[in-house]
Amino acid sequence: MSKPEALLRSHAKIKGNIQSWLIMLPGLLLMTSFVWEPLFESIRMSLYKTRNVELVKFIGFSNFISVTGKDDFLQALANTFSYTFWSLLIGFALPVILAMLIGETTRGKSLFRTAVYLPNMLPGLAVIILWSAFFSGEKSGVLNILLSRLGVSAQSYLTRADWVIPIIILIATWKGAGATALIYMAGMASISPELYEAAAIDGATVWHRIIHILLPAIRKLAGTLLILQIISVFQIMYEPMVLTKGGPDNASLSLMQLMWQYAFGGSMNYGKASAVAVIVTLILLVMTAIYSYFNRKESDWD
Amino acid sequence: MKKILRTGVIREYDMHSPSVKAGYGFIIILCCLMVVLAVFPLVWVTLAGFKNLKEFVSSTSIIPQSFSLEPFTTTWSQLGIARNYLNSLISVVGSVLCALVFNGLLGYGIGILKPKGHSIVKKLVLLSLLMPPTISIVPLFMNIQKLHLGNSFVPLWLSFGANAMYVILFVQFFETLPASIIEASRIDGCSQLQTFFNIVLPLSKPICAVISIFAVNAAWSDFLLPYLVLRGADKQTVMVRLFVFSTEQTVNADAMMRSVVFAMIPPIILFFIFQKQLTENAVSVGIKG
Repeated sequence: MSKPEALLRSHAKIKGNIQSWLIMLPGLLLMTSFVWEPLFESIRMSLYKTRNVELVKFIGFSNFISVTGKDDFLQALANTFSYTFWSLLIGFALPVILAMLIGETTRGKSLFRTAVYLPNMLPGLAVIILWSAFFSGEKSGVLNILLSRLGVSAQSYLTRADWVIPIIILIATWKGAGATALIYMAGMASISPELYEAAAIDGATVWHRIIHILLPAIRKLAGTLLILQIISVFQIMYEPMVLTKGGPDNASLSLMQLMWQYAFGGSMNYGKASAVAVIVTLILLVMTAIYSYFNRKESDWD
Repeated sequence: MKKILRTGVIREYDMHSPSVKAGYGFIIILCCLMVVLAVFPLVWVTLAGFKNLKEFVSSTSIIPQSFSLEPFTTTWSQLGIARNYLNSLISVVGSVLCALVFNGLLGYGIGILKPKGHSIVKKLVLLSLLMPPTISIVPLFMNIQKLHLGNSFVPLWLSFGANAMYVILFVQFFETLPASIIEASRIDGCSQLQTFFNIVLPLSKPICAVISIFAVNAAWSDFLLPYLVLRGADKQTVMVRLFVFSTEQTVNADAMMRSVVFAMIPPIILFFIFQKQLTENAVSVGIKG
């Protein structure tokens, strides 16, 4: 290649690169202003005393100290872990079971798939309001109507501190389990039926086939979905906000809800709100790191 | 009748065993029960909408006394829901356009053009998938205030132009397009932007459809940022209206149930039209890339 030609080529290449970056620029600007910058701004704001949208004074970790020193923070932290616990207890195995059940059906499979996915499409806010009428403590609450048929007298559900978190998780599971089940179904569909056939010829019962073929095949997927579920339930916010306003007596107050209260609950304390947001982010980062550490170890064994 | 093959753990010859056959029957019953559980709350809330307030708070029957549509039409006009529907429509259309254009162009850069340094952008986008969106809602709201974009749909539209998941979906799809077609268009003298609009986008109809459906639903259902941004009553979307109802309790319980029905009708219609695309793509969207 002669020298001028090479020069021309590299010129064209640079021009192409610049054009490409210009094409990506609008998207990059939006990602920066809506995702990346707010994240750093969040960290910066948590270190400042704020008045309205102004950063007034750098105050180090004072926001963190003042936020974590309050009783409602400890309560919200404990509640958030309680949400996570109940979500794993109620919501982790259920999609696997749903996927297994639907996977076995022949006729009507697409109907079952569609029905199980339907709640996921509904607006989360509408779902919460709908279920609030379901769990209403009045005689006209749907659950009370149904239970009265069985001779059980009307109960109040959302005012009981020990019931409120499991009920919120039940509602979230009703909405989300079907979508997760479809993901498991896709994972299970990649298992070759010949594997089951071969095992059956060797005398493996249906139960054996589930334990030794199906469950091991989805183990990795289950690990990924587990961490995604933890990350998502840890940010639970509008569900308790709408259903119980965090009550009774802060029994369902979540960390993100506490953040919302600091920012938009009247006091407009954006600095303290950001401190809570940063704490939640840190906890999530630690959990993700632990997950990827174990995940890496597992891949080494494979 | 076409024979449907079994794809599950239970094989055809297992069905000779009576216990497996009984178990299979049990599975079908459980699946039907699941359908009932998924659909019953929707049926109930619609039925509850037919009740007037007195009946709603006192009746212990799920079936309403009359099936006149009058309560629905009254609530619709009294609360002026038509205005909210229009606002939701404006918000949804702009959001979908932004989702397609901005994420599409960014995905085009990462997946096809691949200029020097694009891999950093790809990594950043992948990382932001892990970042929970609600965490940055405070600074985001402050930015919108500083730019004096409050009470406008523009920030809501633009927020859909910055969706890491949509970018990744575009990139994954673009990477499957044959490089020869894009090369050919370049040799024919098309600029990079022309190639995108004339070649890449027409080939990408399936992924554009999927992203549009999910963006429509997400834009319709979103209420936290819209609630903060759209403070004026004239700009409230259906979901913002519903959220305001739920915080202020100025609305009667029966009208509230009808508002819930109004809020659910468009997603349900969307669902029944596109159920195939939705259930097939729930996997890629659900697992986020």
